[in-house]
Amino acid sequence: MQSAGLLLWMLVLFAASLRSSEGSDPETPSTPDPRKADTLESARESGRTNSRLLGQSDLAKNTTTNSASVTPSSEIPEANLADFRQVISPILNQSCLPCHGPHRSEGRLRIDELSPDLVNGSDSERWREVYNAVGNSEMPPEDDPACQLNDKDRASIVDWISQEMSKAPIAIRDKTQPSSFRRMTNYEYRNALEDLLSVSLSTANRLPQEIASEDGFKNSSALLQMSAMQFETHRDIGLDALHRAIVFGNRPEPVRYRISMLDQIEKPSASKKKAKNSEFFDKDDNDYEKKRRGRVLLNLETGQGLPFQEGSASPIADAIGEGFGVPSAVVLVVPASNEVKWNLDRFLPDEGIMRVTIRAGRSNSNVEQHAALRLIFSAHTSNDANFSQVISQRDIPIKASADKPECISFDIQLQDIQRNPFRKLSTTFPRRDEFLSIRNVSNAKGQEDPLCVWINDIEIIAPYYENWPPKSHTDIFIPSSSVSDQAIYGREVLSKFLRRAWRRSVSPTELEPFMDLLAKYRAELPSFEAAMTEVLAAALASPEFLYITQRNTSSENDSAPQTISPIELASRLSFFLWSSIPDETLLDLAEQGNLSDPAVLAQQVDRMLADPRSSRLADTFVPQWLGIDGLDSVTHITDGSLKESMRDEPIAFFKEVLSSNSSCLDFIHSPYVVINETLANHYRIAGVRGPEFRKVAVETSVHRGGILTNAAILAMNSDGKDSHPLKRGVWMLKRILQDPPPPPPPNVPEVDLTDPEILKMSLKERIVDHRNKPACLSCHSKIDPWGIAFENFDAMGKYRTEIQGLQVDAKSLLFNKQELDGIEGLKRYLLLNRQDQLCRAMVDKLCGYALGRPMSSADRTQVDRITVEFRKQDDRLGDLIQLIVSSNLFKSR
Amino acid sequence: MSDKNALWKRREFLQGAGIALSLPWLETYAKEHPEQSVTPRRFVSIYHPDGVGLPLKTDPAWKDWSWFPRGGERDFELTKVLDVLEPLRSEISIYSGLSHPAARNVHGHSNADQYLTGAAIGGNGPYKNSVSVDQVYAMHIGEATRHASLVLSTNGGIGGPRGAQTQSFNSQGRPIPAMNKPKEVFDMLFVTSNKDAAARLARSKSALDLLIANTKALNRELSSHDQQTLQQYLDAVRDTELKLTKAQKWIDTPFPTVDTKFLTLDAEPKEARLYFQTMYELIYLAFLSDTTRVATFQLGRENGEGPHDLLSLAVGLGPAHGLTHAVKQPDGWKNLGTYNRYQVEEFSRFLHRLKDTSEPSADGNMLDNTFAMHGSASSSFHLSRNYPILSAGGKNFGFSNGRYLKFGRGNEDNQAGAGIDTDSGWQGKVEVEELPLSQLFVTVLQRLGVETDSFGGATGTLTGV
Repeated sequence: MQSAGLLLWMLVLFAASLRSSEGSDPETPSTPDPRKADTLESARESGRTNSRLLGQSDLAKNTTTNSASVTPSSEIPEANLADFRQVISPILNQSCLPCHGPHRSEGRLRIDELSPDLVNGSDSERWREVYNAVGNSEMPPEDDPACQLNDKDRASIVDWISQEMSKAPIAIRDKTQPSSFRRMTNYEYRNALEDLLSVSLSTANRLPQEIASEDGFKNSSALLQMSAMQFETHRDIGLDALHRAIVFGNRPEPVRYRISMLDQIEKPSASKKKAKNSEFFDKDDNDYEKKRRGRVLLNLETGQGLPFQEGSASPIADAIGEGFGVPSAVVLVVPASNEVKWNLDRFLPDEGIMRVTIRAGRSNSNVEQHAALRLIFSAHTSNDANFSQVISQRDIPIKASADKPECISFDIQLQDIQRNPFRKLSTTFPRRDEFLSIRNVSNAKGQEDPLCVWINDIEIIAPYYENWPPKSHTDIFIPSSSVSDQAIYGREVLSKFLRRAWRRSVSPTELEPFMDLLAKYRAELPSFEAAMTEVLAAALASPEFLYITQRNTSSENDSAPQTISPIELASRLSFFLWSSIPDETLLDLAEQGNLSDPAVLAQQVDRMLADPRSSRLADTFVPQWLGIDGLDSVTHITDGSLKESMRDEPIAFFKEVLSSNSSCLDFIHSPYVVINETLANHYRIAGVRGPEFRKVAVETSVHRGGILTNAAILAMNSDGKDSHPLKRGVWMLKRILQDPPPPPPPNVPEVDLTDPEILKMSLKERIVDHRNKPACLSCHSKIDPWGIAFENFDAMGKYRTEIQGLQVDAKSLLFNKQELDGIEGLKRYLLLNRQDQLCRAMVDKLCGYALGRPMSSADRTQVDRITVEFRKQDDRLGDLIQLIVSSNLFKSR
Repeated sequence: MSDKNALWKRREFLQGAGIALSLPWLETYAKEHPEQSVTPRRFVSIYHPDGVGLPLKTDPAWKDWSWFPRGGERDFELTKVLDVLEPLRSEISIYSGLSHPAARNVHGHSNADQYLTGAAIGGNGPYKNSVSVDQVYAMHIGEATRHASLVLSTNGGIGGPRGAQTQSFNSQGRPIPAMNKPKEVFDMLFVTSNKDAAARLARSKSALDLLIANTKALNRELSSHDQQTLQQYLDAVRDTELKLTKAQKWIDTPFPTVDTKFLTLDAEPKEARLYFQTMYELIYLAFLSDTTRVATFQLGRENGEGPHDLLSLAVGLGPAHGLTHAVKQPDGWKNLGTYNRYQVEEFSRFLHRLKDTSEPSADGNMLDNTFAMHGSASSSFHLSRNYPILSAGGKNFGFSNGRYLKFGRGNEDNQAGAGIDTDSGWQGKVEVEELPLSQLFVTVLQRLGVETDSFGGATGTLTGV
């Protein structure tokens, strides 16, 4: 069914694409744009002068004074039906009714059946569509002379709808308004536990997947469900997290491996056996230069080397001091894209952190080449079965020179990785050993002197503790003079923990049930700590932890408070910027009542954005906003690192715009890109080396800049072989223009592929046949032009000028007869004519994310007000965060 | 040896300790819980590694030692491998042309893991499995029985990724450890009351009580809209509490008394006959007492070495895995066939036992209310295609037996991959059409009463079962 539907859309799409190329025929009368030759930068400047929001800020002012403040005292406004009857209805009847009336109902809209009462009626969402279509001059269609609207009439319609919509909020608030009270999302839950307990946690695949809202957001209150299974999983994960944070008994004796390459070359028996070419080689050998750059143990002083296949290591018994001492002259050479594998036998413990420290340096100092290390863990569970997995979270670059090698460390949580289940067998089959491989991830290949990583030493310690007891433990079991009195100490521990976990101070009365539980558990469990751990687990399963609460503090009468309390504001702020719980500073400020001070609040936003945790704002908002999960459903990107880079690019771009407080219009076009080497190669941009993302200035000739041309967007909106203009068009409308197309109408005729007449037709004939069906055209002419403008990008997001020998035709006509000439044309049109819409969409999306609920018509006034301020401040992203946080909307319930 | 005497004494003791068949508990329970007195439906799956003998037609061994029957749906003729099932002919179905699509080009040694799950686990690299069909049904039964399922294997534990020693995987795709020591199984089913578990439950209940009070306090401070949202949480906690109450009920319920005369609780795989008989008898007793309605039993792990290799001692043959490699040796097909025949013989003994026992709480016999399957994820050498599967029972919930059911196309005589003894078999192109085994699982689940129309990536049932 689904695929048939998609096929249908595709056919319709092609129809539109044919039509649009007809439309772009030079003979078609359309006013040539005088500024067409301008740069996109100047289009952006000119477009600003077209802003309705900036130009008519008196309108904004009006709105402000009229309905302003959503205060409890304001009267319920009434719908202005008189104006509708006298002025609006006659215009609509003349210009809209022919297509949206009793005879035809294009887009399933009957303008004569919409309730003109936007305050109490049920059609305010449809009126919003009318507002958009008429306001953007998409309607009525220009090619229908009978339906033309003059500017005055157009303005009347737009103004009337706008005014009526601004009245609606007060009336419909609390009736249909979704609430911000919600469960934490899975990722927020994990962040919260990690921040609360100072542990690292893997919750992957344990909790049911979150459902995304229409807007793509996973933190949307109405969709965050709870079931018995989910609740039990939360309990398990909470207890598991506590067990990672809390330690019992004495410091466990760690297993410690220390591998020196000097030892390896001196007792090479293990590797010697397996190596094909197991002979030592030295400088006199013919292929010496080549050999020494292979995977070998190399004595840098003598030049002597020995091929290396696989190493093995056993734990060392004595707990000798930390550190490696002076590096020896022997290194293990790891060429680019090679791995060195170590058999660690079966001695790693079941739990705790395994710290792998590697002392290494670079074999050359060529800045064009880079190298980073990655860890892989594997086992062979039978002669034809094995498994392996990357266990390091990110690659760590090696930057030191060989004469001054550096130490890098990986911390791996052993209970989170796939272990060899046979490691404890008393028999030797299946194999019990486990392997750690170190991989050199590098761009060096084919060069004359390709960069290798030279490893001097490796140390593995597990379980690794920096201190004993660890900080995660002492943060819970705080030092106190009352440690010996469990009744007092228990209260101290609990009230400190609950304040952080529940994001508010907890009264002594609230503590009592927990103390009772502690007493009960203490009688059964071996220690105070063990009993407390179980009590804390209960606190973490409470709705006070799992939900982001907003209390009705004055709940007695009907006039429920319209704003959240300062302590709730602290949580809203931290879940917005950090996707996690507030820290002590924020809680303190809220409890002292200082957070309501706008200056303090603004200062906190700055502080939080400077904190590393703010990376989560981009990491979670951007993929949801742009729907980057779509990359998971395409299979044509086979290069894993390319796919990862694609996924990261829009995030990195957002971070750049945010940290430099640049204009959001940079998302549409910017004279720079934010890329790494992998993407630079993909985009054919020279001179970018290394895996880290950075800002790179680009000429217009590379056809990049902004996020619309990010490979991720283009590739996920493809069909895996070629571009998919329909998907790209829908994506533009949903994600960027906030003007989602209606779903396909139910009465679209299916393409009957069992019909022999249809089977006989060529694809083109089928398209022609299909476009005769009027049901399809109205929507598609709204969607398709946006997608066709991207035709210069293929399914991988690469720029092209030809498709199978034919010149790419990326010209299309919008519904309002505006021509989009390829991606530059599309950008120019948006920057010239749609700045308000783009900015409003950005505000709307970010507000929806910040509040954890979609913006409704009731929020319109507030969103508009923020948008006007945002536009006045040159559309800067950093400022927008501040504007949102300081708005009434952000404090609203 | 004096050791041996001691062993036999212990056996006599264990056998004598049983008290004759009387199940007062079951009757009382049924009376108190009318909703449970609906006739139980049961599921059991036996997995054997290493596949079966599949000689070429041109091979003289083909006539006697090819696993698949000859002939049509009703008039099929069993070879010597399966002829022990002849007395049960009207109770069994034999299937061909079924396999899991994702495994068809993966080495057979990796595939015990996915036999009941259908997951695309691949042959190397990162590993992820999904829920097994028995566990889907076990979740459906929930707390109606003391144990949701009984997971057994000769080797015990979970094995390793692509080297499973259990057939059962939970809803997150994680392996459920299998039990392999009859004494431990018996104690779990009929003896041990787990005091730790009881204490843990009690602690859990106290925590839930606190959470409910806590939630109610919060609820009073919320808007009516938000109260509805929180109601979901409260429901979730209450459901959990209900589950705990049921679990508690099982702890408080006395164990059923069962007849232990066919049990040899210290039997080991090297005494294959005793071991098999005991393990099957444990499943039978667990079913009879309605202690569980779901069981899986894996006879060994894929790939050689381990206790299961000793099972073939019962028929005087060398290590089981080696038999599959030695088919081209003198008597190779015959030896493998003999061993497979022996496995089926033990299975048929179990089927007879079910058939000969009246359903405790309803009319008919236990086999009619049990879907019992027996199979492997390889047919020929390391070849994960055309799984050799047979099933029995289930008459009371829609299975009509006495049939040889051929699925797919192009391999009606089961010759694709026949006669191979090298890895070129599993690496070779799939030339014939087979249907997803998961479609059979959908059929089974539906008939067991689970509302689903897909499993393990396959949608729809298997037509004609």
